[in-house]
Parts: sequence; structure tokens; C-alpha cells
Amino acid sequence: MARVGVFVCYCGANIADFIDVPAVVEEAKKIKEVKISVLYKYMCSDPGQGMIRDAIVQNRLTSVVVAACSPRMHEKTFRKALSDAGMNPYMLEVANIREHSSWVHQKDKKAATEKANDLIRMAIAKSIANEQLHEISVPVTKRALVIGGGIAGIQAALDIADARIPVTLVEKSPSIGGRMAQLDETFPTLDCSQCILTPKMVDVASHPYIELIPYSEVIELDGYVGNYKAKIKKKASYVDFSSCTGCGACTQKCPVKVPNEFNMNIDKRKAIYTPFPQAVPNKPVIDATHCTMLLKGKCGICAKVCEKGSINFKMVDEVIEREVGAVVIATGYDLWDPKPYEEYGVGRYKDIITSLEFERMVSASGPTNGVPIRPSDGKVPKNVVFIKCIGSRDEAKGIEYCSKICCMYTAKHAILLHHKVHDSHAYIFYMDIRAAGKGYEEFVKRAQVETAATYLRGRVSKIYKKGDKLMVRGEDAQIGQVVEVEADLVVLATAVIAPKDNPSLARLLGVSYDKYGYMSEAHPKLRPVETAKAGIFLAGCTQAPKDIPDTVAQASACAAKVCGLFAGDTLKKDPMVSTINNEFCSGCQNCVKVCPYQAIVTEEIPLGHGSKELRTVAKINEGVCQGCGSCVAICRSMAINLAGFTDPQIINEIVAI
Amino acid sequence: MNKLTYFPGCSAHGTSEEFDHTLKLVMKTLDVQMEEIPDWNCCGATSAHVMTENLALALPMRNLVLAEKLENKTMGIACASCYSRMKGTKKHLDENPEQAKRINSTVIDEGEYQGTVEIKSMLQYCFEEIGLETIKSKVTKSLSGLKVACYYGCLLTRPKDVTQFDSPEYPMSMDLLMEALGAKAMEFDFKTECCGASFSISNTEVVESLTGKILEVAKESGAHLIVVACPLCQSNLDMRQPDIEKHSGKKLDIPVMYFTQLMALAFGYPEKELRLPKHIVPVEAALKHIGDPVPEPEKVKKTKKAVEAESEVE
Repeated sequence: MARVGVFVCYCGANIADFIDVPAVVEEAKKIKEVKISVLYKYMCSDPGQGMIRDAIVQNRLTSVVVAACSPRMHEKTFRKALSDAGMNPYMLEVANIREHSSWVHQKDKKAATEKANDLIRMAIAKSIANEQLHEISVPVTKRALVIGGGIAGIQAALDIADARIPVTLVEKSPSIGGRMAQLDETFPTLDCSQCILTPKMVDVASHPYIELIPYSEVIELDGYVGNYKAKIKKKASYVDFSSCTGCGACTQKCPVKVPNEFNMNIDKRKAIYTPFPQAVPNKPVIDATHCTMLLKGKCGICAKVCEKGSINFKMVDEVIEREVGAVVIATGYDLWDPKPYEEYGVGRYKDIITSLEFERMVSASGPTNGVPIRPSDGKVPKNVVFIKCIGSRDEAKGIEYCSKICCMYTAKHAILLHHKVHDSHAYIFYMDIRAAGKGYEEFVKRAQVETAATYLRGRVSKIYKKGDKLMVRGEDAQIGQVVEVEADLVVLATAVIAPKDNPSLARLLGVSYDKYGYMSEAHPKLRPVETAKAGIFLAGCTQAPKDIPDTVAQASACAAKVCGLFAGDTLKKDPMVSTINNEFCSGCQNCVKVCPYQAIVTEEIPLGHGSKELRTVAKINEGVCQGCGSCVAICRSMAINLAGFTDPQIINEIVAI
Repeated sequence: MNKLTYFPGCSAHGTSEEFDHTLKLVMKTLDVQMEEIPDWNCCGATSAHVMTENLALALPMRNLVLAEKLENKTMGIACASCYSRMKGTKKHLDENPEQAKRINSTVIDEGEYQGTVEIKSMLQYCFEEIGLETIKSKVTKSLSGLKVACYYGCLLTRPKDVTQFDSPEYPMSMDLLMEALGAKAMEFDFKTECCGASFSISNTEVVESLTGKILEVAKESGAHLIVVACPLCQSNLDMRQPDIEKHSGKKLDIPVMYFTQLMALAFGYPEKELRLPKHIVPVEAALKHIGDPVPEPEKVKKTKKAVEAESEVE
């Protein structure tokens, strides 16, 4: 015979003001299995928990019902109280009479009380069918995989490695550094991007706990939290990194010139190249789509000049495997192509450029040695018009969201322009100035006051050519008039967008992504670093547009999450997982399809006892299962059981109301 | 022979008679039989839709019902404003079948609206259904040497979800059509700017400032003349020029022609068929540029392989 204890909480006035708590306590007593029913002002407090512990012992209870707030708040607290009293913690049921009753039915005390009675009756009935469950232990491989070697991936890798946990850092391009390596100076302090980034890049390369795999991509991920197996494709670089000294003779002598993507195609690089002088690793790769030796079998100059014999034209892609316990996704961002802005003449006028092109020009190590020029004639511009929100906050042509960083980098560009060309003038067309961040508003003021940039609130409707100038026509909403600015150069602050490969990567990793292609976090406020898949975390712009401080903070948060995950030798997880009863399983595999966590696979078992013929049944990996119950609902033969939510428990609940 | 339902609109029978006339000549050469909708009515223009929505829908709807009776696949519309009203109405009626039924049964006695006719501007019809290759094949007198600025106005390609034709901001169909005739279409930034439309009557100053800007930029582009596909654009650009010149003191003197006039010329019709005396700004001098020597275009020859096109071997 079950012996249930019911503990009803006032929650100060939160519950007691809207529910007749003493009546609820009396109502519970009418159920014959209930051996004790009491109330207390704050059940979660230490004395409250003490009441539960004492009652368990004194009344020899077999299960406990706490009628209080949401189990999300205090389920763990009360489970611990049960454990402390020597009871299996999963014999607890929480009746949520706060969020589900008192808070939502504040105008009708009678109805709220009745609903509380129902909820408690259900919890009591369910608890009677509760079974003793035990936490699941999962082994853990203490190595992290970081995908992407921009500032987010670099920071996450360094922080994890500093905790003496091995890290494999996979970077798609030949060098780590990412977008930040392309920047000249950074807001709001104007410190040189390269100066603060390159030491970290070097740290990555030399860190004993970091394995850096450049020019590679993750192509497969199997397994579950603590036990992932990743397949990594090392793209053929045609250069043997182990013998290459990075002397640069090959890149100097290579005769093939190709638009330089690192410099936004403003200048040219060679077909064998290192993306930039401070690249890590500082080893060249051959661009197979342009190398004449690989395309036509002619040339081979690089091989001739290489003293170490490191060039190998026969190199092929190689796939390697790594076992890891956790994954950090840090794939960064792309920029929106402003081509739809036909009324600006984008694509027709050379002197309309994007902000990242401007950034490369003003960079001291950039293609124009730090001086902005007009692409059409190479002259130094005097009047420069910056237009913000190109593609951002634009439902018609671009995307709906704010890209977050453009207000700040445009202010920075106005200041940098002034530094590089003293007699220049910056005009900035904007919709709003969003400068929320430490030192940000002051920085924008600096652009407005110190460099006397003209901020014009309004959209640009048209750009047309007049002689060799561009006429920028827009609205100045503050004076309510249309204005025209004669510009030598126009710079478009194009929107931040998710990398185009994000959706395919998300699918192969088994995490979700949003309609824009950004990776989805598990909870927008309380779990912004985790994905819904255990053991996979997000750092930087792969989740949403972010500036450098936010990116670094999130990357460090990822590292803390990984370290926490690896703190014990095994991972503990709730036992609320599904199991398959093979005898009932028909092998229809509907559960495989509906499982959002890819926790269900199939296995072959003998058709009958001792039979050699095989049949297919579903198999659930309890390490991956999150206990959502989708498989239970879809299973036609009722072969799946979800611990903690078994059929008898659910049926008891239904019967109780 | 292709058959085309034709909606001329009121200007074609009046101020833009030269458009209507040359359009018919051109269509004859292109082997298209035009069937004008019998007993067509006003599209409602700018007046109806500022008065009442139902009237603004009912007027074009009656024309659509009449057009359906002719059983041709496409209806071609000469005037850009009529085109906008008719096509916008069709979209609205197709999306709101109940309202369509109500208007149909209340005020239109000519039959039941089906929504089966495809509506195209005459420019769109030439570009999409006849095609540049066919047009090119009919050219007997190339317009080579003539430089033109193609002006589309605001309604031919806008709004995009209604017109479903060409780019709303920088269309190229008329430019390509002119190049097919042998003329050179100049880069022209103001090709979709508003000319002031019917404010021509009520607020002439606005029209003069908007039109003045368009004419100025067209002139700067180096064009000998402006090509249009809309009667109201033509009359604003052509008729207001003397006043604009008087107020600004700048000489413009740039003729404004319909694309069909130039097509007729290229198809070998004599100049007198173009109805040139109807123009305010004289056209004859501009047309003398036909046959001017054309300088070799400075084209960088690209190699066939895309790979090589991008790279450059020292």
C-alpha cells in the first residue's frame, strides 16, 4: 500500500492570496493513500525541506507530492530533500499550483482552488505509480572539437586548453584569424586588431593542448554527449606542412595572379599563397582552381624554387577521425551582397564599396597601404558618404534584424577616414544610432564632435553619377527635406548574415538553426551558449550578429561549459529516457524519424529464440535521449516506454481528474 | 499570325496618337493582329482610386470582362497608367474573389469575370512574346549612330509584385530593344524617376522641377533623344521643356519619342509615318545622327575558360 505525503506551499502571498490553501490541504487528506498533508509558508526554505525529511521518516512515506511552483524552479531542491531522507529522489512529484493556477487565475479564487485540487490529485495518483529510478552514468572523452578559427574559436580553444583539456581546432581556410584579422582598428578603443589578435593566434599554434588542423572541414559527427566521433576532411594543400619552412619563395615566384579574397578582391594574390603575412600556420597552400600546373600540367615553378621539396602536386584530400566529448561551433559570419540596391547603382559604379572593402583600404597592411582610394581612378576621396542599414532592418530587400555592429564600425570608419585623409569629410546616413555598449555612445560622440562627421537621419533613395562624382540623394528627416550630397566615394554598411554553409553544418551536427541560418541556442535567455543537443555549444556570430567583446565573452562561456562537462570521469544525466521493448517493436522506424535528437538507431536481432533469421528493431541511445517523449507518442505498437512518464503513471493522472 | 487584344487608353486616341499609329504599323510588320476591345471605357486613371475603391476596381473590371470575350491569350496596353490600373485590379480581384463577385453582379452587365486574360504593357509584349531576335530580323534600316536614353517612368515596372516585369529600379528591356534596332542605349540613372505625372495640370511647378532633372541627366548622358513607352511621360517631358528652359536658362532641346516610332523607322517606314509634327521639341535634327560613325567599343577580350578569365599569368 502506497503512503503519500502532500506538502502545500503558500509561496508567501503568491499562492495563498489566490488559492484557499488550507482547503486544498484538507481536500488531499480525503485520498486514502495520503498519510500526511501539511502546509508551510516557504516549502523550499530549509525548515520547509526539514518538514518533508521528517515526514518521510516518521510516516514511512513511499512517495512525496509538493504543491508549489514550477518544477523548473525547485524540482532539484525537493529531490535532494528526498535523497537526504533516504528516499529515491524520483519518487517526487511536483504539482505546479503557482504558474499553472494562482498566477493565471487571480480573479477567481474558487476556480483556482479547484484547479489546484485537480493538479494535486493528479500528482498524487502519478506518484503512486512512480518507480525508483537512478541517474545514468555516461563515459566521457575529454577532448573538445572547435569548429572555426576566428576570434570566437581561438578564445574558446585557448580557454579550454588552459584547463589542460585537449582541443582540436578545425579551420576551413589556410589560416586562423577569421574576420577579425581583416580589421584595421577596433571600436571603441581603436586598438589595432592585428596587434591584439596575432598573439592569440600564435598561442593557439604553440599551445601543447591544442591540435590545429587548418584548411579542413568537419564532414561527419556521430555519437552523443561525451562520446562524439568526428570525421574531418583535410583539403589537399599540395604543400607538405611538416617540411615547409614558410620561406615564401614559392609565392614570390608563382606567375598566376588571382583576386585576393582576404583583401576583398581589391588586389591580387598568387595561386600558391598564404592569406596574409601574419597567417598561422604561416605555410602556403595551392589554390587548385587557379594553379596552371594542376589544371593544365604546365608551370611547376613553385616546386622548382622550393629548397625543401615540400610541394607535392599529387596530394589528395584526406579524412581523419577524432573522438571528442564536446563541440564548440564558431563559424562566424558573412556579409550581405548589396546587389539588390539597384537604385544606388551597385555593381555599375566602382566608387560604391562595402564597409569591409573600406576597412581593408584603411588597414596599414592592406592593398592600398592604409590610404582609402576611389577604385575608379585611384584618387584619394575627400567627401565620403557612409550609408548604414544596407540589407539590415530591410524586409523588402534584405533581412529583418539589426546587424548590431554597423553603427559602431561606421563611426569608427568616420574617425579612421579623418585620421588618414585630414581634409576629408564624412556624411553618415542612418536610421537610428544603436550604440549600447561600454564606451560606445562616447565613441559615436567622438566621431560626431572630434571628426565633425555629418550625421543625417534618413534613408538614401538614389545615387546617380554626375561627372566623376556620385550624387547621393536622401532624406534628412530632421529638417524634413530631401538633400543631395556630392560624394567621391560611397561606403555601404552591409548586413551581417549567417555563413551560407551553416544550415548544412547544422544538419550534419544535428543541431537546429533559425530561418536566417544562424545556429539556435537552447534558450534565448537562460541557455544562450548551449544548443538543444547536449555537448554542443555556440560561440560568436554563428548564433547571431555580435561584436568582438560579446563574441569573446561567449567563447569563454563555452569553455566554462566544456570544462564543467568534463569535470567528472563520467557524465550524470536524468534517468528520464525512453527504452524499447523488443518484443513489441515492429521495426516501422517511425520513432527514428520523429526523434529530434537522432537518439534512435536500428539494430538486427534474431527473429525468434535461437533463430538465425534477423529482424529490425529500434534501439535508443540513452546517452543522447533527452526524454521528450515524441517516440512514445508515434509508436503504434506501444513498444516504447519513457521512464518517469510510463503509461500507468499517465493513466493514473487522467483517472484522477 | 498572332492575335492580341488591344487596350489603347484615352491618350492613344488623342495626345499620343503618334504612339497608337506607329504601334499599329510595327505590329503589322511583326505579323500581329490587334483587336481593339469594343466599347472599352476609361481605366479610372488617377481620379477613381482616390474617390472610392469599388469604382476604381469596377472600371478596369468591365474592360477585363470585355477583353475575356475576345478569347486572346494576352491583352496589350499602350498607356503605362492604364496598364498599372488594369494589372493592379486583376491582382486585387484574383486575391479577393468575394469582392470581385459582388462588384461583378452589382454594376457589370457584360458578363462574368473569369480572370483569364494575361495583361502586358506593349513594351513587355514586344520583349517577352515577340522577342528581340524576331525584332532584329525585321530591321531594314539600322539606327546605328543614334544615342538614346530609355525612360521607363514609374509604372511600367512597379510595383514589382504587380507588374512581374523587369527590374523595378534599373530596368533594361527597352535598352536592349533599342540596341536590337542598332541604336546605342546610354547609361541613364533617372530611367525610373517620377516625371510628376498628372500634377502637370494641378501643380506645374512640381512637374517642371522633376522633369527638368530627368531631362538634364538624360542630356548629360550624351543621348540624342529620350525614348519612352508612356503617353503621360512623353507629354510631360516634351511639352514642359520650353518652360523649363525659360525658368532655368539652360538649353535642353532633347526630343522625346515613343519606342514604337523608332521601331517603325528601323522597320523601314518613311519618316512621315512617324507623325513627327506632333512633337513640341523637334525631332528631325536628332534623327540625323543615324548613320554617324560608331567608335569601336573598348572591350577587353575575355578568354573562354572562366578559370583563365579570373586569373592573369605574368
